[in-house]
Amino acid sequence: MIRINNLHKSFGSLEVLKGVDLHITPGEVVVVIGPSGSGKSTLLRCINCLEEITSGTIIVDGFDVTDEKTDLNYVRAETGMVFQLFNLFPHMTVLDNVTLGPIKVRNMPRKEAKKLGMELLEKVGLSDKAMVYPDNLSGGQKQRVAIARSLALKPKSILFDEPTSALDPELIGEVLDVMKRLAHEGMTMVVVTHEMGFAAEVADRVLFMDEGVIMEENTPQAMFDNPKNERTRNFLALV
Amino acid sequence: MNSHFVFKYSVIWESVPILLEGVKLTIWITLFGLLIGFTLGAVAGLAKASRKNYAKRIAGIYIESIRGTPLMVQVLFLYFGLPLATGMRIPPLVAGIIAIGLNSGAYIAEIVRGAIQSIDKGQTEAGRSIGLSRFQTMLFVIWPQAFKRMIPPLGNQFIISLKDTSLLVVIGVGELTRQGQEIIATNFRAFEVWLTVAIIYLVLTMTIAKLLNMFERKMQIV
Repeated sequence: MIRINNLHKSFGSLEVLKGVDLHITPGEVVVVIGPSGSGKSTLLRCINCLEEITSGTIIVDGFDVTDEKTDLNYVRAETGMVFQLFNLFPHMTVLDNVTLGPIKVRNMPRKEAKKLGMELLEKVGLSDKAMVYPDNLSGGQKQRVAIARSLALKPKSILFDEPTSALDPELIGEVLDVMKRLAHEGMTMVVVTHEMGFAAEVADRVLFMDEGVIMEENTPQAMFDNPKNERTRNFLALV
Repeated sequence: MNSHFVFKYSVIWESVPILLEGVKLTIWITLFGLLIGFTLGAVAGLAKASRKNYAKRIAGIYIESIRGTPLMVQVLFLYFGLPLATGMRIPPLVAGIIAIGLNSGAYIAEIVRGAIQSIDKGQTEAGRSIGLSRFQTMLFVIWPQAFKRMIPPLGNQFIISLKDTSLLVVIGVGELTRQGQEIIATNFRAFEVWLTVAIIYLVLTMTIAKLLNMFERKMQIV
């Protein structure tokens, strides 16, 4: 599904990713943990082609994203992305946020897109907010709309970039619930998060990133109960 | 105060119908000029906000050369200078509209650029992440939000351009200021006539400000 080989990414002289190798199989839920500045978010942004990579290869769904002939817009649509700060479109209603992709990218008839949008809003428990503007939603509701928006393109995988980090503690649960449901439905997910409970419960694999490389990877149980790497141990002791 | 001076109200009533003829032209020049200006400004502003270096540079040259020279010189150059080189004479009205368009376009370009760049980068990323192309992201996500932010400064430019049309008096366009000048040439009542002209400009600009205010409230800009 996603295959990354020796990925390097620099911003100017600052090298953020220093050779990342990662292979994610369909239906897998991978949680990425690590201190801030370790390159977790950059990794996700490279997979979604939001950053141009410096060297290495990324194959998403069979498409080499470094190949100039690859239609990156298509690859992006096939990979959903959920952002820390939601990034909902404030000038559109909740429903329009969800249907924009299907209508403009998938050329779905408006009526059909609306139906799909309502189904997805139902799924994230927000069908009563369809006609509301994002400004009138709580953070947790916004993030659930953002998840519905990315689901609307029927992506093969979804990347979550710290989806609950900007939320008040009491709103985190509702977002994690939606994510858990997606995981159980077999969605391929890569989740950057500090929610260790979520990782322990739904992750097939946990990656610990630090200083631009994957330091350790293991099943959640093995990682949390018996971290091998010194840095992993220190990090887990802090969170 | 000059004790011989007597304010003559009749001058005002006599000159208003003639001045209103000029107002018509002033409004038309402003509207057509701004239509050109907005088109040029949108293109140049988008170019300046784009990632293409050559587009940025061309837009930059246009904006700098217009903002760095007086409108009066631009008008004189267009009307008196250019025909000597091209051999093509442009009617004063057309020259005036082009001058207002070129001039406002440079300022509007900066308004457009600023508004676009003020939209959070996350919006572009969200648009791209659902598979929208660069162009679609601009069209459906960035522009509608940026346009809202452009409205107040565009309104300001509208008022500035309307007042700028009075400079077209130097190429003999029969707009409001020119009409005032011509009335004074026959009756020498400079005080009453220029006062009337000023009040008419004030009414025009205040009307625009009022209309914009209503429009802004309708668009819910706070």
